[in-house]
Amino acid sequence: MLFPTIEFAVFFAVVFPVTWFLNGFNTAKKWFLVAASYYFYAFWRAEFTLLLLASSLGNYLAALLIGRLADGYARRAVLWLAVAGNLGLLGYFKYYNFFAASLIDAFAAIGIALEIKFIEVALPIAISFLTFHALSYIIDVYRRVLAPTTSLVDILLYISFFPHLIAGPIVRADKFLAQTKKPCDPSDIKVGQSAFLILGGLFKKVIIANYLSTEFVDNVFRGPADYSSLDLLLGMYGYALQIYCDFSAYTDIAIGVANLLGYEFPQNFNYPYRAISVQDFWRRWHISLSSWLRDYLYIPLGGNRFGEWSTAKNIILTMLLGGLWHGASWNFLIWGLLHGLALVTERFFGVTGGSGAEHAPRSRAATALGWLITLQFVCVTWVFFRSPSIEASIDYFSTLLSGASWSTTLTPLAAGAFVLGALSQIIPPRWFQSLEESYEGASLPIKVLVPFAVIFVIAVAAPTGMAPFIYFQF
Amino acid sequence: MPQETTPQEATPQGPPRQESPGPQAGHLRTVAVVIYATLLLLALAIPQSIVSWIGDMKSIEMQETLLPAAETLQRLSRQIGIDAPYTRARAAFLALTSKEDH
Repeated sequence: MLFPTIEFAVFFAVVFPVTWFLNGFNTAKKWFLVAASYYFYAFWRAEFTLLLLASSLGNYLAALLIGRLADGYARRAVLWLAVAGNLGLLGYFKYYNFFAASLIDAFAAIGIALEIKFIEVALPIAISFLTFHALSYIIDVYRRVLAPTTSLVDILLYISFFPHLIAGPIVRADKFLAQTKKPCDPSDIKVGQSAFLILGGLFKKVIIANYLSTEFVDNVFRGPADYSSLDLLLGMYGYALQIYCDFSAYTDIAIGVANLLGYEFPQNFNYPYRAISVQDFWRRWHISLSSWLRDYLYIPLGGNRFGEWSTAKNIILTMLLGGLWHGASWNFLIWGLLHGLALVTERFFGVTGGSGAEHAPRSRAATALGWLITLQFVCVTWVFFRSPSIEASIDYFSTLLSGASWSTTLTPLAAGAFVLGALSQIIPPRWFQSLEESYEGASLPIKVLVPFAVIFVIAVAAPTGMAPFIYFQF
Repeated sequence: MPQETTPQEATPQGPPRQESPGPQAGHLRTVAVVIYATLLLLALAIPQSIVSWIGDMKSIEMQETLLPAAETLQRLSRQIGIDAPYTRARAAFLALTSKEDH
């Protein structure tokens, strides 16, 4: 079930009143939300709901056991078993064939014919997200950040809650479980913010991302050799806008929908293409993933506590695994490696780009240069992320740099989507804030007419059919 | 261990939520009106999308049950003329962009 569809509208139209009707009966409400979330997940493959259930039950029991054990070998062993179980599931479904093929290739290179059977099994949707949710819970319990909950329904809901289930944001266990302990407060619904997140998300996905994808970017990446250098350059920037509008749309809608049900999710994007360094980019792009990687991988690896070489190794390892999390392919590994190398290079040269008080002030020229270099770097690395193979990425760059032709096949629709996508990074956030505030204070008829008008316009200008969300494959 | 909390415990300062709908209930009512009125307006303004959606359903039983209601809605929408703006705007957009609805 995709967010921008009639079935989701119908689904939500049922879930919303029942959830609030049951709000005074918190446990019943949570069981209802679990049932709704499993129904939502079953829309893709009903049998994978068993996987969801098994993962939730396993982590629930493991956390209870960790909570009961005193510090020592047994407690650590249960943690590692639980982590291995979660990663084993992910590895089996997502990475087995990739590693098998890589091993066969590696042995073939030294003249040994290795025979490993491949598995033919569909990848359960959202498995990477649900694994990270589960790990967040288990590790927080182990670290005593969080007491293990005895309430099974809380864990079932935390792992399966439909707004974040498929493509995030990755909600931390302590933040979510704190919200499930008591009935939600209707006054926590930020109607203006939720409305603009949902409407903005629909617009970004249905209009900008879809037109960029179907009118231009997909064609250019399908056969880069058939396109001009200008097309490939525009395709690279176009994909950068497409993936932002696609992914941020999903999480914006998720945050808005969760808030309408009384739950709060963390912000996941903050103008990523305004970043003035790669470090700054990772504070603005998929924030819930980058902070997860920092807290559950980079810091446990040693972070920056053991000298420069160790820090560099930890950064690169974290980014490599972050890349691999996106998919089982060498392209994602290269993408992660390039980001890791860039972060290490920035660290080496003392570049600590960002706008926070902890960062040294920069001149306007240095800021502009930092932004320009970061944007080019991020867009270039997206080519590895988008291309189906390393060979295809090399083809893309070699045609791009050949400078053979500077004509373009960019259609007016794609050009319009390009401009709108760029505006999503240019329009100051305070404009959106003032729109939200005006909406909050508007009369009821206006409150109804605004979403109606926006969705009406989206329906008029929508392409026929809908490209799936990019992050669904992860 | 975390325990379940009753609504009264969760809002110790306020009156019990179910007995006296205060500003919270008013806020929730506003949100509900916004959601359902928007969906209703959209269903009336673009009824053909609902007819097509039901037509695409895999279950024949669901189609047979829901399609008459959707077609009634479409007829009603046509009679009042509320579906005309969408039909015209969509046709104009498709003509402008040289696209077709499949």
